Amino acid sequence: MKQHTTRWRRTAAVLGAVALLAAACGSDDSSTPAPAPAPAPAPAPVDDTPIFDVGVTEEACEQPAAGVSNAGNGCIYLGILSDLTEGPFAPLGVLIQRGQQDFWGRVNADGGIGGFDIDIDTYTRDTKYNTADHAQAYRQIEPNILILAQSLGTPTTAAILADMDADDVLAAPAGWWSGFNFEDSTNGLILASGYSYCLESMIGLDWFDENGPRPIGSIAAVGYPGDFGGDVAEGARLWAETNDVPFTGFIPTGPNAVVGTQDAAVGAIIASGADIVVLGLGPAETAEIVGKVAASGQPLGSILFLGAGPTWNPALLQTAAAPALIGLYTNVSPWEDFTGPAAGHAAMRDAFGDNAPINQGYAAGWVWQYPIKALLEAGAASGDLTRASLRGLVDGLAVDYEGVLPATQMGGDPNVNVNRTAVIGSVSAESPNGLQTIVDGYRGTTADAFAYSAACSG
Amino acid sequence: MEILLPSIVRGLGIGSTYALLAVGFVVIYRATEVVNFAQPALMILGAYFTSWFVIGLGMPFPVGVIAAMIVMAGIGAVTERVAMRPLVGQPVFSAAMVTVGVFIVLTMVASRLIGPDILTVGDPWGLERVEVGGFAVFQIDLAKIVISLGAISAVGVLLKRSRIGLAMRATSLDQETALAQGVNVGRMFSLAWAMSAGLAALAGMLIGTGAGGIEATTALVALKALPVIIVGGIDSIQGSVVAGLFIGVAESLTRTYQPEYAPWLGANFDVVVPYLILIVGLMVRPYGLFGTPEVQRV
Repeated sequence: MKQHTTRWRRTAAVLGAVALLAAACGSDDSSTPAPAPAPAPAPAPVDDTPIFDVGVTEEACEQPAAGVSNAGNGCIYLGILSDLTEGPFAPLGVLIQRGQQDFWGRVNADGGIGGFDIDIDTYTRDTKYNTADHAQAYRQIEPNILILAQSLGTPTTAAILADMDADDVLAAPAGWWSGFNFEDSTNGLILASGYSYCLESMIGLDWFDENGPRPIGSIAAVGYPGDFGGDVAEGARLWAETNDVPFTGFIPTGPNAVVGTQDAAVGAIIASGADIVVLGLGPAETAEIVGKVAASGQPLGSILFLGAGPTWNPALLQTAAAPALIGLYTNVSPWEDFTGPAAGHAAMRDAFGDNAPINQGYAAGWVWQYPIKALLEAGAASGDLTRASLRGLVDGLAVDYEGVLPATQMGGDPNVNVNRTAVIGSVSAESPNGLQTIVDGYRGTTADAFAYSAACSG
Repeated sequence: MEILLPSIVRGLGIGSTYALLAVGFVVIYRATEVVNFAQPALMILGAYFTSWFVIGLGMPFPVGVIAAMIVMAGIGAVTERVAMRPLVGQPVFSAAMVTVGVFIVLTMVASRLIGPDILTVGDPWGLERVEVGGFAVFQIDLAKIVISLGAISAVGVLLKRSRIGLAMRATSLDQETALAQGVNVGRMFSLAWAMSAGLAALAGMLIGTGAGGIEATTALVALKALPVIIVGGIDSIQGSVVAGLFIGVAESLTRTYQPEYAPWLGANFDVVVPYLILIVGLMVRPYGLFGTPEVQRV
C-alpha cells in the first residue's frame, strides 16, 4: 500500500511538472489560470497578451511611473541615461526626466499598454554627460530594458549606437542632432521628434532675415565642437551659403567648467564683425557671451543672437546679463513650451500642476515620449513586444503628438518626414519660462527648400 | 593699449581669485601637510550659501558674503573633525585621498542644493564698467583684485602678528614640539580648515559674479589653483599671490592675442596655459617660486 501511494505521488508530480512547463512555454500571461493536472486535454485559453522578450515582465512593475499601476498588469521597463547632477545639462535633464515620469504616469492611469504598466524609474542612470559613463551605464541596464526612453546628448548617444544596434534597442534622444534623422547614422534606432539643430539654425535665420530689424549681413556661430554646437554652426553655414551671405566662421568654445570664462569667444565674436551670432551652448555660457558683448561698447543692437533649444534657461533672467538677453536674444524652439495651447500641453499642466516648470526640459521630456508610446501601442496591437519586432515597426510609424507637433511619420525619407516648423520667441520677464512666443509653427523658406539628404555634421 | 590694459586687468582679476583659492590650499598644507582636494567643493558651497543669504533671505550683499564665509568656516571645521582628524599620524597620501572623497561628497551636496537652477550671488557689480587710465574695464575685475588681495593680506597679518597665527606656524613647523609648548594642535587643524573654507566661500562668491551665474559644475574652475600652488610653492602664501596673478595674466593675454597671432594652436588654447606654466615651473624650480626646498637624507 505504501509503495503504491509513492508511485501515485510520483506520477502526479511528473504530470504536474509537465503541465507547468506547458503553461510556461505556451503563455506569458500570469493571469491565465494554470491548467489543472488532469489527463484529459482542456480547451486552450484565449490569450491576447503580446509575446515579449527583454525588458518586459509578467510581474508588476517595481516602480510604476508616477506610482500608478493596474492590477494584473505586467511591466515594460524603459531606461533613462541622462545628466541629472553634475553635467552641463543637469538643469534640463532633471526636468526632462520629470516630464517623462508624468507622461508615463498618465499612460498607466489610462490602463497601461497591452496589459502592461510602464516603469521608467528602476533603470534610470545619471551619466553626467560623460561619454564613458553613458556607455557603461548602457551596458548595465541593457539586459533589463525594452527601450531607452531617454539618451541625453549627441556624443553620448553616438557612443552607444553600435551596442544598441547589436541589442536591437531603440531610443528617444534628448537632443536634436541631424544625424538622428538618418538611418546611415543611427541604423534607424533613434525615435527623434521635431526638427534638427541644423534645420533649427536655418529656420531661425530665415525668420531673422524676414522679420528682424535688418536683413542679415554676416553670420558667426559659437558652440561646443563635436557636440550640438557643430550641428548648429553647420546649419548657419548652409543658410549663409544658400543666401549668399558671408559666414565668418565657427567659434569653438567649451562649458565654463572647462574653459573658465567665455572671454575668448566674446573677443572672437566682436572681431568677426558678424551682425548675427547663432549659439549652440549651455545657458550660463550664453548669458556670459550675450552680456559681455553688450557691455563691450558695441553699438546697441549691432550684434544679435539666436539661440538653440538647450541654450535657454529662464533663470538667466536673474543674472546680470538679463537686460542684454531681453534686448539681443531670440530663441528658436521645436515646439511651444508648457503653457502652449494644444491638448498635449493641457495634459502636461494636468500632470504637473499650475506652476510652470522652471525650464523647457519638462515639455521636451514629455514630447519625446510620444513616438515610444505609439511604438508600444503598435507592438501591442501586433501581438509582439519583442525588441526585434518593435524595431521592424519603426519605419512608417505614425505618431500623434496631441497637437504639440504636427502628426509625424517615423523613418522613411527624412527630406519628406522631418518636421520643419519652429516656435520663435523673445525674452520676456513676464512669461513663466522667460520666453514670449512671437510666432508658432513658423516655416522658413531656406529650411523648407533645403535638400535634407544627410547629417549636417559628423 | 586699448586691448592690452583691459586684458591685463581681467587677468589680474581672475588671477587674484586663483590666488585666493590657492591660499586656502596653502593654509591647510602648512598646518597638516595635506593637499586639500575638497577646496573646489567648498568654493561652490560658499557660492551657494552666498546666493541663499543674499537672494533667498534678502540680506545686504556684504552681510550675506560674511555669513556665507562663517557658515563655510563651520563646515570646514566640522569636516576636519569628522573626516581628517582620525587620520592624524597616517600617511599624508591617505589623508589627501580622503579629501578627494570629501570633494565628491560635498560636490554631490552642492549639486542637490543648487538643483536645476542657475544661481546668482546678487553682487552689485554686474557687467558695469569703469574708466581706468582712459580705458574701460569691468568693475568686477577690480573688485576681485581688491577683495582677494585684501583677504589674503588679512590672513597674512593673522598668521604673522597674532597669537593664533603664531600657534598655527608652530604647528606647521613641528607638531610635537608645538604640542609640548601647550598648543592645541587639533584646534589649529580645525582652524586651518575653517580659515581655508572661509576663503573658498569668498572665492566662490567672486566666481559667482560672472554674467552666467553659477552651476554645480562651476566647482571645477577651482582646479586652476593647483598649478598656482605648485608654481608659487605649496607652503607659500606670497608664492600663491605671485603665481596666481602671473597665471591669470598669462591666461588672459593668451586668450586675447593667441587667436590672432597663433591661430594654429587651436581654439581655447588659454585653457592649457596654466598647466604649461606648471610644467615649466616644475622643470626650473621643482619646489616652486617661493616654496621651501625639501632635502631628504637617505
